[in-house]
Amino acid sequence: MKIDLNVDLGKLKLKNPVMTASGTFGYGFEYAKFFPLEKLGAVVVKGIATFPSHGNPTPRVVEVESGMLNAIGLQGPGVEKFLHGEEYLPFLRKSNATIIVNIWGKTIDDYIEVASRLEAEKKGIHALEINISCPNIKEGGVAFGTDLKLAHKVVSEVRKVTKLPLITKLSPNVSSIKDFARTVEDAGSDMISLINTITGMAIDIETWKPKLANVTGGLSGPAIKPVALRMVYEASQAVKIPIIGMGGIMNADDAIEFLLAGASAIAVGTAIFTDPIAPLKVIEGIENYLIRKKLSSVSEITGKLIINRKKG
Amino acid sequence: MKNGEIIRNKRLKDNYFRVDFYSPELCKQAKAGQFAHVKICGIPNKVLRRPFSISDVSSEGLLTIIYKVVGAGTEALSSLKPGDTCDIMGPLGNPFSPSVKSDIPVIIAGGYGAAATYLIAKNSPSPGILLLGARTAKDLILTDEFKRLGFEVKVSTEDASEGYGGRVTGLMEELLADKNRRNMKFYACGPHGMLMAAGKLILQHGLDGELSLDHLMCCGVGACFACVVKVKADNSDGWRYARTCKEGPVFKASEVYYDLEPE
Repeated sequence: MKIDLNVDLGKLKLKNPVMTASGTFGYGFEYAKFFPLEKLGAVVVKGIATFPSHGNPTPRVVEVESGMLNAIGLQGPGVEKFLHGEEYLPFLRKSNATIIVNIWGKTIDDYIEVASRLEAEKKGIHALEINISCPNIKEGGVAFGTDLKLAHKVVSEVRKVTKLPLITKLSPNVSSIKDFARTVEDAGSDMISLINTITGMAIDIETWKPKLANVTGGLSGPAIKPVALRMVYEASQAVKIPIIGMGGIMNADDAIEFLLAGASAIAVGTAIFTDPIAPLKVIEGIENYLIRKKLSSVSEITGKLIINRKKG
Repeated sequence: MKNGEIIRNKRLKDNYFRVDFYSPELCKQAKAGQFAHVKICGIPNKVLRRPFSISDVSSEGLLTIIYKVVGAGTEALSSLKPGDTCDIMGPLGNPFSPSVKSDIPVIIAGGYGAAATYLIAKNSPSPGILLLGARTAKDLILTDEFKRLGFEVKVSTEDASEGYGGRVTGLMEELLADKNRRNMKFYACGPHGMLMAAGKLILQHGLDGELSLDHLMCCGVGACFACVVKVKADNSDGWRYARTCKEGPVFKASEVYYDLEPE
């Protein structure tokens, strides 16, 4: 029996539910020597702003138990180089992969401008992911993702300037994920993706200094999976738009948990650092799982979590 | 033998170990200065690979890595036995540019920087000089191996327990003061501060040199932007962050941006 791995995310259709998490896969170019990018459900590129950006001082990463902290700080080439540089969009267009561009800014105008530029040259771009959740930059990023009014404003303003499908990437560093999910749905986001990293820190007890130059960073990897899963579940209860789940997915079993919790698609991030072909292994593992469960399509498991609450 | 299988894993001295992996494809491609990105089997609760300079490769397909036990990863590696297998990505990064017959290769190494520069010495058409610095005598490694390649070896220790008392850049200044030396080509690998000092000396004397730089690394292929160092750039700041895994680890001394204040 042929297994149907296609997923329908409304305005965005994917050939399978496995994407790469922004920031962990560069601009695709670096991984094209490991496998054809078109095998993925989608490639989500590292955050793009209107301007080139140095990112944070070093050290930018530290490994912790079952995960890592990063404070890269959105180092990037800026939108013009992304649109025209050989190793960026021109390369991605040739790869035949489904491309999602993650965008960020320091001000609402920055978001509007980068979305407008990408809308104007959107050949080969299949969706935008609005990053309102990077915990590692002082201005913008998570400032928009932890304030309901600003989150609504940035999404609705970007919505006005592009017809591309919009994904909003939510921060887990909020007290009610449901409120943010509903807000960005109301503002016109076509999908939501979650979770971005959880703010954390690590300290060197010999020097008494933080292990990251930025002091704090974003925690990713297996350590955050239970939190991510809970948030995907809660968000899926709150909104009608499709959800892309991520946070510590290392293998197909992890991915299936997210699908059951309510995600229509998932993203692999930190696992790529362990194994560059981890996303392909997840696709294959999901397919094998569906065969074993005698199911014909991946959409049959989305949100199928069974909860029998005991009374009393 | 399986790809990535450990053939030997032995203590060299003190906390320094040498491991030989069976890795014929990598050995065929590897050039001096490149690195291997190793998923060490058997470390619980750790997700990242560990990058190691390639110390040596053999025609039998043995990849040699010299490492110091400094943390959980290298601790786990040191306990692996022949027959254990690690997944190895590589060779990665840009190599040193080889020296030519008329060059005198001068290697400036700090601590186990000697391991990262052994292969460039082995491949040099003319023997050269190793200036090896370390904190103390027990951190001086591979001196006999370099001597066997015909290299003149001078060592420095910060506690004066062996050789010149002080930093390796002190030895370097002595060498540079000797006007009879010609056609020296420098290769340096070691701690960041040492490399910055060595790079500046190379440039002050108008000489040709390359530095092997690195920083805490995740992906190893240029995707995550963790392992960056400052290099000169044509922008208003005069510098940009370059990925040591992809754009390095070897940089020309003239490409590197020398900060006034160390990071």
